[in-house]
Formats: sequence, C-alpha cells, structure tokens
Amino acid sequence: MTTLTTDPPRNGLSPLERAYARLGVVLITPTILVFLLVIVYPLLAALYLSVFQIYTPTLQGGFVGADNYIELLTGKAFWSSLRVTIVWTVGTLTLQIVAGVGIALLLHQNIWFRSLARSLVLFPYFLSTVVAVLVWKWLFNDLYGALNQGLMQLGIIDMPLDWLGSMPNAMIGVILVGAWKYFPFVVIAVLARLQTIPENLYEAARIDGAGPIARFWDVTLPQLRSILTVIILLRAIWDFKEFDLLYLLTGGGPVTSTQTLSLLVYQEAFGLNQMGQAAAYSVGMMLVMLVFMVLYIRQTKEKA
Amino acid sequence: MTTNKMTNAGLPRRTVLTGMAAAGAAALMPRRILAQEKITLRWWSPQSSPEQMAAYRTQIANFEAAQPNIKVVFEKTSDEGYAPQLAAAFASGDVPNVVTHLPSFAVSNYWRNGLLEPFNDVIEMIGPEKFYDGVNRIYEIDKGQYAGTSIGNSSANVIWLRKDLMEKAGIEANPRTWDELLSACSKMQGGGIYGAPLPYGRNSMTSLIFIGVIHQAGGMVFSPDLEVAIDSQETRDALEFYKAMREYCPPGATNYSWGDSLTAFVSGACATGVYTGRVLVNVNNQNPAIADHITCDTYPTKSRDIAPWTFNDFPSVFIPKQASNMEATKQFAAFLYDPEGYIQQLHAAPGHVLPVLKTIAQDPDYLNDPIIEKYRAEVDLMSEAAANGFNLGWESPEHQPNTRAGEVVNSGVIAEMVQRVVLNDENVDVVLGETASRIEDIMGA
Repeated sequence: MTTLTTDPPRNGLSPLERAYARLGVVLITPTILVFLLVIVYPLLAALYLSVFQIYTPTLQGGFVGADNYIELLTGKAFWSSLRVTIVWTVGTLTLQIVAGVGIALLLHQNIWFRSLARSLVLFPYFLSTVVAVLVWKWLFNDLYGALNQGLMQLGIIDMPLDWLGSMPNAMIGVILVGAWKYFPFVVIAVLARLQTIPENLYEAARIDGAGPIARFWDVTLPQLRSILTVIILLRAIWDFKEFDLLYLLTGGGPVTSTQTLSLLVYQEAFGLNQMGQAAAYSVGMMLVMLVFMVLYIRQTKEKA
Repeated sequence: MTTNKMTNAGLPRRTVLTGMAAAGAAALMPRRILAQEKITLRWWSPQSSPEQMAAYRTQIANFEAAQPNIKVVFEKTSDEGYAPQLAAAFASGDVPNVVTHLPSFAVSNYWRNGLLEPFNDVIEMIGPEKFYDGVNRIYEIDKGQYAGTSIGNSSANVIWLRKDLMEKAGIEANPRTWDELLSACSKMQGGGIYGAPLPYGRNSMTSLIFIGVIHQAGGMVFSPDLEVAIDSQETRDALEFYKAMREYCPPGATNYSWGDSLTAFVSGACATGVYTGRVLVNVNNQNPAIADHITCDTYPTKSRDIAPWTFNDFPSVFIPKQASNMEATKQFAAFLYDPEGYIQQLHAAPGHVLPVLKTIAQDPDYLNDPIIEKYRAEVDLMSEAAANGFNLGWESPEHQPNTRAGEVVNSGVIAEMVQRVVLNDENVDVVLGETASRIEDIMGA
C-alpha cells in the first residue's frame, strides 16, 4: 500500500493504470492478429500482386509496375463491368428494399398463419444459391420452363421468351432472382424494428387525423430510417461483390452484358491465368466501394 | 524415480538407451519405407455420370484390392470449372494425383509451364504398342517427352439426326453441306420441334463448336506456325452460316452449353443435334420412343469439296508434378487401362468416350454391349471421325502444338465473337479485328 501511494506515477500513469493498460494490450492482441491475418495481409498481397504479371497456376511472373493499372484505366473491360455492376446493384437492391419493407409491413399485421408466413418468407435466403439458380434456370427454360409455358397458356406471348440469353431480359432476370433471394434479409431486419415502434406514436397520428399512408410516411418510415441505412449499406456491399448467383445464371453473358466486376476478376485470374491483372481489378473494385462508403458516411453524418 | 524403477525391473540403462535410439531412427525413416502405411491418391475428372461413377468405383476397388495399402478417392470437377480448380490446386501445391478427361489443349498448357510429370513411364507400363497410331502424338509437346496420354477419343461435333422426321419432311439423304442442312432444318422445324440446338452461350461449348464451323468453312483459327488467322473470309462465312441457323434453334440456345444442347435433342425438342456419342445412351434411357430413329454423321461443311472436320478433345490422363506418392500414382494411372475397368468405363456411355487401345477396340467384351451392337454403324463412324479429329491445340497435321489454346478457349473470346455478330448484330469486320487482336494478346501474354 505504501509503495502504491508513494511511488510517483511515470508518464502520468499509476502502476495500477499501467497494469490495466498491459492487460488491455494482451486482450486486444488476438483481435489485432486475426485482423492482420484476414484483412491486412490479403489487402497487401493484392496490392503486391497487382504490380506483377503473374501466371496463376505457378504464381510466377515479372514486375510490370503500373502496367496493370494503366490497362485498367485505359481498357474497356473494367469500365464496362463497373457499369454492369452498378446497374445490377441498384436494380436488385431497390427491389429488395421495396419488397422487403412491403412484406415486413404485411407480416406485421395481425393476419392468419402469420407465424407460418414469417417462417416461409425466409426460405429463399436460407436456400443454397446453387439450388436456387437451378430452380430458376428450370423456370426460365425456353422449352420446358413453367414461366414460358404459363405465359403462353395465358396468351400473353406466342413463342417462348429467351430469359437469360439476350438483353435486356438477362439483366432483368438476374435482378429479379437476386431480389427474390435476398429480400428476406430486409424483411427480418425491418420486421424486428417495426415491433419496437411505440404504439402511442400511431395513436397520436390517428388522433391528428392521419390515414394509413400518412402514418407510414410520417411515423413508420422515419422510425425505420436507421435500420434501413444499415440494411442498404450492408446489402449494397454484398450485392456489389456478388459472384455465384450471376456466374451460375448467365456466366456474365450475353457477351459481357451481365459481367460484373467480380466475374471480370474471376475470368482474368482463372480463365486467362493473369493473377496480376485480376489483382489490379480487385484493387480498383475496392477503391470504388471505398468511394461509395465515404460518400455514404458523409451523407449520413450531415443528416444526423 | 522412473529410472530407478526401470533398472530395478531388470532393464539396464544401455538397453533403454539403445531402444530409444532405435525408436528415434524409426521415426526419422522415410515414410514410404513403412510398408504397411496407408496412402491416399486423389483422382479428378469432369466426367461423372452415374454410370461412369459406377465404372470408376470398379476401377478403384480393383486397384485397392491389388494394392492394399493404397486408398483412391475420386473427386468431381466440371468442363467449365476445371481450369480455376486446377489453377488453385497448382498454386497451393495441393494437387490431385491423377486427372482424367480434360481436353488435350489444357494439358499442353500445364506442361509448358512445368506443372506436369512426364508420362513416359506410364505409357511404357500400359504398352505403347497397344495404342492406336498417333494417339500419343498430340501429347508429345517436347520431343520424346509425353505430357500425358488419351484415355479415350471423342467426336464432339457429329451431327445427330432424326430419321423419322427426315422421312416425314421428304429428306432422303443426310445433309452434307450447310445449304442442305439449312434446308433440312427449315423442313423439319414446326409443331413444337426446332431444327437444331446449336450453342450461342458465352461458354466453352460455343467456342469449341464454332472452331469446328470455321474449319468446316475451310478456315482455321491459327496458321500452322501459330499466327492468328481467324480474321478471314472463311470465318465470315462461318459466322454467316451460324447466324442463318439461329432461326432454327430454340430461343434459349443463346445460353446453351453442353447439357442444354444434349437435352434439347434427346428430349425430342430438336430435329438435329450436335454432341458426342453420349446421345446414344441418353436417348435409350430417357426417350426410348425415338431410339430407333436416330443416326449420326460428320457435321456438314460449306461445300462438298471441304472435308469434314471433327473436334476430338483427346480426353486425357495426366499427373501433376507436385503429386505425392509418385510411384503409386503412376501405377494407378496405368491401371486405368486395365481391361475390366476400362471397358466398364467405356460402356458407361458407349460411343461417348471411344477406346484408344487397339486391344480394347477388338475385345469381344467391349463389343458385347447392347448400345454398341445396336448402333455399330454410328459407333464406327464416330471412331473413324475421332481418329482423324483435331482441336484448337492441334488444328491439323501441319500445325505446331498450341500450348495457349486452353487460355484462348477459357477466355471466351471466340464465344463472345459469335454472340456479338449473331446476337448483337455488330459489324463483322470490327468484331473480327478485335477478336484477332485479343487472341494475339493472349498468345503474347
């Protein structure tokens, strides 16, 4: 006790505080190590690879400096895929949000079989992407697909439609399947938030004469803003880098009409065995996402 | 305490030390010297239909029975997926021991980059005199060194025909030229049946089939000394033909790959087909109603004076250089040609993979198969066409081996050319110029 009280603190910290600081370092070290291993190392490795021309199977190659980035900036491939990625992300995200909020509102009502419906609505999200794509490819099939057969029987079309092999059908098709697959995530999050909105806000709105639509815009939507912000941010990131669904549905075709940046990176790395160029495209993709995120964070801060 | 107990029990210190030294030495012995140690071999193949899987199980069981300390594990890959899977395997060093059924042009690329074990020992174990002449030539990329060998032949682009529909349409002979084919498709199309399931998707099938069409126009993708030669009048003619065929193909052919094209003919939705001999077993199993009405021929050419050009991808067997247990691996690779298992593998899809060993082709056990007996003329035609077949890795007897052919196919540049001209109606000259330039880039990379 005497020592503790008489020993002058070094650097303004008492021995107890120094002990806590050391403990803090020990406790945070595993987190930092994992962070370095799974985030910093791959990032640095991508940056390193991007200045080499590397043959993928051997990982051998020579230093090419900025050549891969010059190709990225001056070639058409990156910009074309970026445009496709933005169309896909905006299209599918918009549908996910609209469908997700709509169905969450429906499932928040006191309807029959509500519990069952709440369980079933999660089905697409839990389904393996491969299985989901097989099912949808079967539905879209030109010769036996239920979609074409149904439309023909209803007299809406005379001949089967080419859903995934021509534009704009292919882009519409992948956007629809993407929205179907991922809207349950929006439903779960929005439904959870809806259940915490105080009922007295709606009562006050009713007393003020607000109808259902006015209550939605003036009460529900403002209350959902924070959760929707998080959902849009997360889903935008996930959709921007979506790979398996697009690869399996169209392979990026017709030509390169549905080839997003993820597919371009894959094609470069494993189709052409050019790992260096693929890494440069990945870095470009990351920078684009970074720009969007910074803009988004600034926007939300200003509004806050 | 422990030492005292041991010495008290009658074990002298010298004995204990000697025992420890012996145990240490045993631990340092090379693992392979331990005769009873179980080793595992990994076998990859993109060919994995249920019948083929059954044949593989037989081959594995027979080999394991002969080599009790070896376990063989089969792992599926796919025609569209093997390139990235193998690239990742080579890069990580976690490679399979034996890979089968990949096209020869993929093998040559891996060989050129030093990733494969020379296959000479395996060919010697099988017996080089048993192979058909020329089968191994495509794998002799460096003089006297074999990158692999063929596990079979295939004729990937023969035309399949419905004789009943031809008769109904008043067509007396198999189409020999493009004009005859277009006319036949026009006559047979209707009543829910399309003329042909040609692929227009952005995939390897479109690339490989269209390479055949270029040759059927009298052209080539590369000159014999491997200069890019795709920007030619013959390619323009091929594109024009392919575009003309579009109206006889199902709407979804714009996204067709191997499975879709096969199913379109087997199900009866198309009057003609383009595929290997797998059609035979699939029709008999899945649509026996048309089984007596199908036949095949070499795919028509632009004119009668142009010889047919059959695409044979020379399905391969090869061994990655980094594979473990090399001696056992080579034994297993050679064992794949053991008659019992090899014949069962060929019978899994009769006519799809054709034998490369003369001894097997004449073996009564091979010939004694209901499908082969029923369609003997078709199987013989495919065998002859495949024996005289080529692919992008070796376009003609005059051509040098093209070790970048796999990358040209996997890049999708040829399929994209087809889509841009046929589906997007882009200017042929511009597209061809850009395609040639892209292929040159791939060759020079």
